[in-house]
Amino acid sequence: MTSEAGIAGDREQRLEAWLRERGRVAVGYSGGVDSAYLTVVATRALGAGNVLAIIGRSASYPAEQWATARDVARQFGVDVLELDTDELNDPRYAANPSNRCYFCKTELWSKLVPVANARGFSHVLDGTNHDDLADYRPGAQAAREHTVHSPLAELGFTKGEIRARSRALGLPTWAQPSSPCLSSRLPYGTMVTPERLGMVERAEAALRTLGIAGDLRVRYHEDIARVELGAPSLAQWLVPEKYEQLRDAVRCAGFARVALDLRGFRSGSLNVLHGVTAA
Amino acid sequence: MSIRRETPGGHQALEGALAERGLVVRVDPRAGLAVLIADAATMTKLGDAEVRRAALALAREHGFTHVAIEMRDDAGPGAPLPRR
Repeated sequence: MTSEAGIAGDREQRLEAWLRERGRVAVGYSGGVDSAYLTVVATRALGAGNVLAIIGRSASYPAEQWATARDVARQFGVDVLELDTDELNDPRYAANPSNRCYFCKTELWSKLVPVANARGFSHVLDGTNHDDLADYRPGAQAAREHTVHSPLAELGFTKGEIRARSRALGLPTWAQPSSPCLSSRLPYGTMVTPERLGMVERAEAALRTLGIAGDLRVRYHEDIARVELGAPSLAQWLVPEKYEQLRDAVRCAGFARVALDLRGFRSGSLNVLHGVTAA
Repeated sequence: MSIRRETPGGHQALEGALAERGLVVRVDPRAGLAVLIADAATMTKLGDAEVRRAALALAREHGFTHVAIEMRDDAGPGAPLPRR
C-alpha cells in the first residue's frame, strides 16, 4: 500500500468512527462521487437501517445522475427517499445571481432536514469535501444554517482520496466526472428556466452519444452553446467532419449556434467569466 | 460580485492581432467571451495547441477571459467570412 493510499484508508477509518458516534444519519444524496462514497461508507459502518439517502429531485438535477444514484443505491443496499424540490419557483434563484446556490440549498435542506428528523435521523450530512472549501460555494452557508454536517471536509478528505477509496470499495462513481447542477451552465444574470436547463441537458446527452467521455459542459449563451471539452480531445473536434457532428448534435437540442471553447473544460468557468473567481 | 467586460472596441483590435498571427477571423463579443468566426483553414490551424495558446493569450490581452470558435455551416475551404 502506498503512503497516499494508507492516508486515505486511515481517513476512512476515522470517518467510520465519526459515523458510529452519530449512530443514525441521513445523507443528502445526488449520486455524485462524494455523496455516493459517504453514503456507502455510512451504510457499511452503521447498517442499512441506520442510513437514509435522500435525493432532492428538481429540473436542475440531471436525469443521468439520478439514474446513477439509483443504480449505486441498489448495488450497495442503500435505503433511498426521493423528495421533489422546486428551487426554480423561487424568484431569487431563478434570477440567477452569483449566490444562486444558496437559494437552491436553502430549498433542499429546508425540505430534507425536517423529513429526516421526522424519521428519526437527527444527523443530516452532505458530501462536501476538503477541496470544496477553497472553492466559491455559497450553498455551504445554507448547509450551516440547517445544521448539516460535512464529515468528508471535516476529516480532510480530498477529491483524489475519495476517488481512490471509491475505487477500492467498488463504487462505479470513482471515475465519474464532477457533475454540478445544470443551472451552473447558465451565466449569472441569465434567468434559469426549465426550457433552458432542458436544452443544456439534451445537448450534453447528445455529445455523450458521440463518444465524448470525461469532463464536458455545454454553457448557455442565449443563441450560442459554448462547448467545453477536456483539453486533450479538443483538437480532434476541430477537423471539419468531426465538428459537423458536434455542431449538429448540439443544434438538435435547440441551440442556433455552436462554438467550441478553445481552452477546454474549466470547472467554474462562468465564475471566471463574471470575475467571481480569478482566471 | 464584479462584472468583467471586454475593452470597448477590443474585439476589432483582437481581430487585427489574430490576423497578424495568420488567423483570419471575425470576433463576436459577448461580455468576456469572444466567439471567433473563422474559415476552415483557420479552424485547422487552431487544432495546433501552440496556436490555440497564442490565440488565448491575445484574447486575454484584449480583455476576454473566454474564447470559443463557432462551428459554422459554411466554413468550407475558401468560404468567405460573413459580413459584420
